[in-house]
Amino acid sequence: MKNILELQSIDLKTNNKYRLKNISLSIKEGEHLALIGPNGSGKTSLISTINGTTYPTSGKILFRGEDIHRINKIKIATIWQDLRLIEELTVNQNVNIGLLGRKNLLWALKNLIGIINDNHNIRYLKAVGIKHELLNTLISNLSGGQKQRVAIARMLVQNADLLLADEPTSNLDFKLSTEIIELLVHKNELPKISIPKTCIVAIHKKDLIHKFNRIIGIKEGSIIIDTDINNYNEERLKEMFQ
Amino acid sequence: MRKLNLHPIIFCIIPVITLIPVTIQILSDIHTGGLNILYSFFQASINPSLEKSIIKNAFNGIFITSAVGFISWILSCLFGIILGVLSSKFISKKILNKEFYAYIVKTLLSIPRSMHELIWGLLLIQFFGLNPWIAILAILIPYSSLVAKVISDQLDILDDKYFFACKTTGANNLISLLTTLTPKVYTTVRIYCGYRLECALRGATILGIFGLGGIGNNLILTLKSLQFQEMWTNLWILWFTLIIFEKVFSKTNNNLNRISIYSIPIITLIIASIIWLNYLGFELLTSVSVKGINLPSLIDIQKAFYELNIYKLIYETLLITFLASGIAIGLPILVSLVWPNFITTEIASICLSLLRLFPAPLTALLIILCTNPSISVASLALGLQNVGVMGRLLSENIKNQNKTYYKAMTSFVAGNKVSNLYGILTMQAKSYLSYAAYRSEMILRETALVGVVGGIGLGWQLQESLSSFDWPQVTLVIICYIVLIIIGENISGKFSNHWIMKRSESINLHHK
Repeated sequence: MKNILELQSIDLKTNNKYRLKNISLSIKEGEHLALIGPNGSGKTSLISTINGTTYPTSGKILFRGEDIHRINKIKIATIWQDLRLIEELTVNQNVNIGLLGRKNLLWALKNLIGIINDNHNIRYLKAVGIKHELLNTLISNLSGGQKQRVAIARMLVQNADLLLADEPTSNLDFKLSTEIIELLVHKNELPKISIPKTCIVAIHKKDLIHKFNRIIGIKEGSIIIDTDINNYNEERLKEMFQ
Repeated sequence: MRKLNLHPIIFCIIPVITLIPVTIQILSDIHTGGLNILYSFFQASINPSLEKSIIKNAFNGIFITSAVGFISWILSCLFGIILGVLSSKFISKKILNKEFYAYIVKTLLSIPRSMHELIWGLLLIQFFGLNPWIAILAILIPYSSLVAKVISDQLDILDDKYFFACKTTGANNLISLLTTLTPKVYTTVRIYCGYRLECALRGATILGIFGLGGIGNNLILTLKSLQFQEMWTNLWILWFTLIIFEKVFSKTNNNLNRISIYSIPIITLIIASIIWLNYLGFELLTSVSVKGINLPSLIDIQKAFYELNIYKLIYETLLITFLASGIAIGLPILVSLVWPNFITTEIASICLSLLRLFPAPLTALLIILCTNPSISVASLALGLQNVGVMGRLLSENIKNQNKTYYKAMTSFVAGNKVSNLYGILTMQAKSYLSYAAYRSEMILRETALVGVVGGIGLGWQLQESLSSFDWPQVTLVIICYIVLIIIGENISGKFSNHWIMKRSESINLHHK
């Protein structure tokens, strides 16, 4: 299968400190990667470097063989650790932000005023467990778990090829976390909803690792584990967290 | 040696000392003949003229003032938003890759912002003659740049992570900026623009006093002819109108949290104002005639510098600012200390509204009825108007304050005054001082108002130079005003930020 993403000797340095050190990685279409590592190991830095919001100090990132910073519209969706939902807007308006890449300025204005038809978003919100009644609720009035689900719905409407998620289940209980992860890794398919075939998910719940087919362990900015789920060794994982 | 560490509340109270020299000078200059006139003035307040023609004239005046205020307010908010976006470093950097363009716009905007609407009015009259549109323009120019400053400052402190998050969905820079920034600054802009409506109506009244029509014109004519009953008819109508506007607007404003709902009354107001203007017979293009003037050379301005005692004028302007700021900052706190619950009562709300809405030039003229024109008269007039503004802020903040500390104090300290000081006022001190710094800057701008009436400072000199068409002197005085206000703006900004930081530190400490 073809590589969807390729990282070539990526270094990221801020304040004279390496956040990422010589990261090289090839990800094939259809792979589901669990990104694990202790706090401050570089998971978030790696995700923001891949989605192009942070420029690497050196190295190259290729998306379908093209330099990521030269592509006009990259089909990568991100679920941020801090969610980055706009608290002052409603659930529906926030989900619509996922569609902005395919819409014009007038549509964006209509969304701000709040006159976009919400029918399109209902099935995405249903998929992540958000009730229809909450569509016009301001984000600031939702609980942490509900916000997280809205962020996932925003990612789903993007119709991307690659999904990056930075601890997408940190505010959810185990049952819902399992459901969401299963949704992201295509173990729980939903009708009429297109989920990115490939995903890189930074995850802190070790119990959910077995849902992925490849494990990447990162520590102090370097990859120290890169293994298929079948060859996954729990002892090595424990060592990494020590 | 132990370092003296004064609580911020001390800095709120100390400025009221300025009231002592002001009162002494006014009392020493007092002449009893004028006291009778002043007595008739206050007596007329409960006995205003109810003559049909007077009431009709007053309503006609308030219609013109409201139309001028509304239109200048709406236009200044619209232009302010556009200019605010153009002067935002954040936006300039994201769209043009350079902050430089925003810096240029921001610097250029500091010039129109630094001149009070009255100065703009006086200048524009010279160019275009008497016309209600001049009043609109005179308010529009400084207010647009004031709104622009608030908006650009708000935009520049925003975190860009939302922008980048939106960009990763594939949206372009413009759409990402629009989507992420608008909701973030919307509430501040809505509240600030709401506040500017009252300012615009006050500005329209003041411009009327200086000949640009409306109720202000009625007020000055009745005062000059000592027709106090007629004056009070106009004053009561002015106050009731402004209070009704304020109440209706603040109620509507607080309930409009969504952009969609908010846009409806705004669009309605714009349409209504245009129809209103048409009804009032405003003729923009046909009634405006441009008069050419010879621009002064540098040598002419240098000559004007030697002719005028510019240092004395600057000194007087600064002294008025200092004394008026002292009264405006210290008096509401002093009243609250002496009469703990007064500041939050309905009576206080009415008194503060009356103080705020009574134009400072009229106060100055009234005081002059029984004393001589002086710096003290100008300072008291300006100070009292701003007591209304500061008092309102204090009372609103106290009403919204968590009363836990106050209740705790009353449970073991007993005294209401002490509990009020420790449980309420000390909590308010830092945010109050932060706003006081900004208010002092506004007072410096407003010195033009009382200077013109009181025969003091740069404001008076400007009026004199304009009357004699001495353009080199006019240019020099305006340059002095601009420089003074830009310096004042920087100093007040630093003080304001200092107290905001101190307040945030104490909130963080409290949460830890």
